[in-house]
Amino acid sequence: MTVSLISLILLCPLAAFAVFGLLGLANRRFPRQDYLSTAAMLIALACSFLLLREVVPEPETHTVNWVSLGSVTFSMGFYLDSVTAIMLIVVTLVSSLVHIFSMGYMHGDPRYPRFFAYLSLFSFSMLFLVVSDNLLGIYIGWELVGLCSYLLIGFWFEKDSAANACKKAFLTTRVGDVGMFIGMMMLFTKFKTLSLYGEGGIFALAASQLTTGDMVWLSIAGVLIFCGAIGKSAQMPLHTWLPDAMEGPTPVSALIHAATMVAAGVYLTARMFPILTETSSLVIAYVGGITALVAATIAIVRFDIKRVLAYSTISQLGYMMLAIGAGSYVAGLFHLTTHAFFKALLFLGSGSVIHAFHAMHAHGHDDEHEHDDSDAHGHEHNEDSDSGHVLGSEIPPDQDMRNMGGLRHKMPITFITMLIATLSISGVPFIFSGFWSKDAILAGVLGRAMEWNSVHHYILFIMALSAAGITAFYMFRLIFMTFFGEPRNQEMHDMAHESPLSMTVPLLILAVLSLPVVNTLWFNAAYVKPPPQPHLHAPAHAYIAPDTKGGTGLAFSLFGVSEAVAAEENAGHDTHGTHADDGHHGHGPAHTIAMVLSICVAGLGIFLSWLFYHRRTLSAESVTTTFRPIYDLFWHKYYFDEFYDGVLVALTVWKARLFAQFDGTVVDGIVNGVGVVTRDILAAFTGAFDNRVVDGIVNRVAQVTWAVGGRIRRIQTGAIQTYLFVVLAGIVLLILIFRAL
Amino acid sequence: MTLQHYLVISAILFTLGIFAVLTRRNAISILMGIELILNSCNLNFAAFSRFVTPPEDISGQIIAIFGIVLAAAEAAVFLAIILAIYREFGSIRPNEVDTLKG
Repeated sequence: MTVSLISLILLCPLAAFAVFGLLGLANRRFPRQDYLSTAAMLIALACSFLLLREVVPEPETHTVNWVSLGSVTFSMGFYLDSVTAIMLIVVTLVSSLVHIFSMGYMHGDPRYPRFFAYLSLFSFSMLFLVVSDNLLGIYIGWELVGLCSYLLIGFWFEKDSAANACKKAFLTTRVGDVGMFIGMMMLFTKFKTLSLYGEGGIFALAASQLTTGDMVWLSIAGVLIFCGAIGKSAQMPLHTWLPDAMEGPTPVSALIHAATMVAAGVYLTARMFPILTETSSLVIAYVGGITALVAATIAIVRFDIKRVLAYSTISQLGYMMLAIGAGSYVAGLFHLTTHAFFKALLFLGSGSVIHAFHAMHAHGHDDEHEHDDSDAHGHEHNEDSDSGHVLGSEIPPDQDMRNMGGLRHKMPITFITMLIATLSISGVPFIFSGFWSKDAILAGVLGRAMEWNSVHHYILFIMALSAAGITAFYMFRLIFMTFFGEPRNQEMHDMAHESPLSMTVPLLILAVLSLPVVNTLWFNAAYVKPPPQPHLHAPAHAYIAPDTKGGTGLAFSLFGVSEAVAAEENAGHDTHGTHADDGHHGHGPAHTIAMVLSICVAGLGIFLSWLFYHRRTLSAESVTTTFRPIYDLFWHKYYFDEFYDGVLVALTVWKARLFAQFDGTVVDGIVNGVGVVTRDILAAFTGAFDNRVVDGIVNRVAQVTWAVGGRIRRIQTGAIQTYLFVVLAGIVLLILIFRAL
Repeated sequence: MTLQHYLVISAILFTLGIFAVLTRRNAISILMGIELILNSCNLNFAAFSRFVTPPEDISGQIIAIFGIVLAAAEAAVFLAIILAIYREFGSIRPNEVDTLKG
């Protein structure tokens, strides 16, 4: 049953793409590729829900051998546990809604059917990645989603910026993928398998075979595999591709670059949870924490609505990484789930806004996206216009928040739904899912800090907390600038309109999904349990409070999620062998502290944002002038792009020049030298031989033949009587000869 | 008259014919030489039929008659060729018809 359901989930989107691909070979189109792809996704969605009911406490593995090379056999198979089921729901649900949204958003695009075919291919790849039970399958899905990302970012490849962005995305993630592949090979050389589960799988072997001496090796392998996640999930320092990926159509940003593909890195890290050591966990947590904080600060100063959301995504992904690195497996995955919905909602909402603005400077959609910078509504020259252009910093007018304002009356549905998502991501308490998941992460990190008495985790907690406050600030900045206040660009404002039903309905559905009650339907039903981490040992000086679990669990027990998180804490204690399980009611003071602090910083962030961008009691311009260096740092995104352009790209170009010069002098020199030797010496010699000897022989033969022929031809006189005479003489001669015999 | 007389006369005829073929400057004369040669042969056949083979075997005489017919046909063809040559070259002197000279 489960196998057929999973197969159906995989095959539906693949079939939808295959129809496009096979007909494409015949240079034809299926007339309603959009309906086909959407229907396929809806079937997959239904199957995912059916599958949720099939999940049993014990994970299931279904494996077949794929290829055998000598003594090594590579297998392919499905692994189904609660995490798989949740991921399937998330991917199919967001993908279905994005399909529906795209019917409105992409309507009239010249490559409309192709867009849906790519979406189908992406959905298949992502689902394949999710259900694979071995690293090889995950890697195949991993590269396939990377390919789809490339194709969809560059969907409007007529734009140079889109073409550059898709190349950048592909190459940057490739850097991480190389690390991931090396990590996989390290595991492979050690264990001679790429399967993860079962008795012969990597996890079982790692638990039983490795000694403490292998921990350094295992840490390196873990960090290298995490490199893949750094690239794919746009973590520091490989995050620069994700903001540029916003050149793709907005539904793509929602699906691939907010909800699913970038979360694949988190998913992979979660899958690798059992082999994480203390060192690799800490590396992951720090990368996540730094990313969360840095990306949030960059988001403050962006004016492009999609880039604000892009940096927000990077920041939230950092949160998830931090959670997994700090051992809060459930919290990380829970945040992945909630984030997928509210971030998809934010992106689709921004798409709705962009769509509303499109109508005014393009009468049809056919020629849109082609005149981004040359428009009459060019940039107002604000304080940042002297900041110089770095890649991707030119803002199309329809995405520039400085052109928006007061849209809440024009687009009420978009406004309400985006506001819900913003409240959710900002961590406004109790009725929004983001609060619960973010709070679970903060509590997890603080819990570990208190439990281990670890300075690292206190630092990480402060990073996460600051990021939470900044997130609330910049998200409300987005809302205030876009939907409140007076219209800044009256002409654009007059043309704006609410989007069609196909776009607003997915927004409404996603808004409902941003409420925690809905999320717990599957998150609790599947009951996520963190796998044990045999290689992670609490530090020797760990301080374990004897009774940290009697604190208040009031708010947390409101929802099933909190039970899972609580259970995780207990499980965490169990693996360390320090605590007996005292049921699901234990909550450390960490939860209370974390919750109070997170509500405070979120409130502070929102309040500041209100002061700056709504009341305008405080002036953003004056603060900018006062803290000019810091503003510049944020505006230039910590100079990452400048660094990459100035150092890595320049180095590559310099190296390419060097090689070109080597090519031009040494290689060409050798080739030309060989050419000269061949032509001037060998060819001259053989030419002479040919001219003298070979031609000589041929000519001599001809001359001899000519001369002999010249003599002999005189025999043929043409006089018939001469011939007769000769004949007669011959006969006489013969007679004489015969007589003599 | 014995066989030897006939053979001597035949040889004389043949020699005269060869002489005419090789030396005459006129194609008609050469034809006449050829006729002499043919007739010398016919004479030989008849003579051998009379003196050597049994009287009831007359195949030699038959062949002589065939030879005469042959000579007539050959003369007709020869004269036709000579006419064609005359039209082409305006002459029937063999030493002037030497286009095939090497």
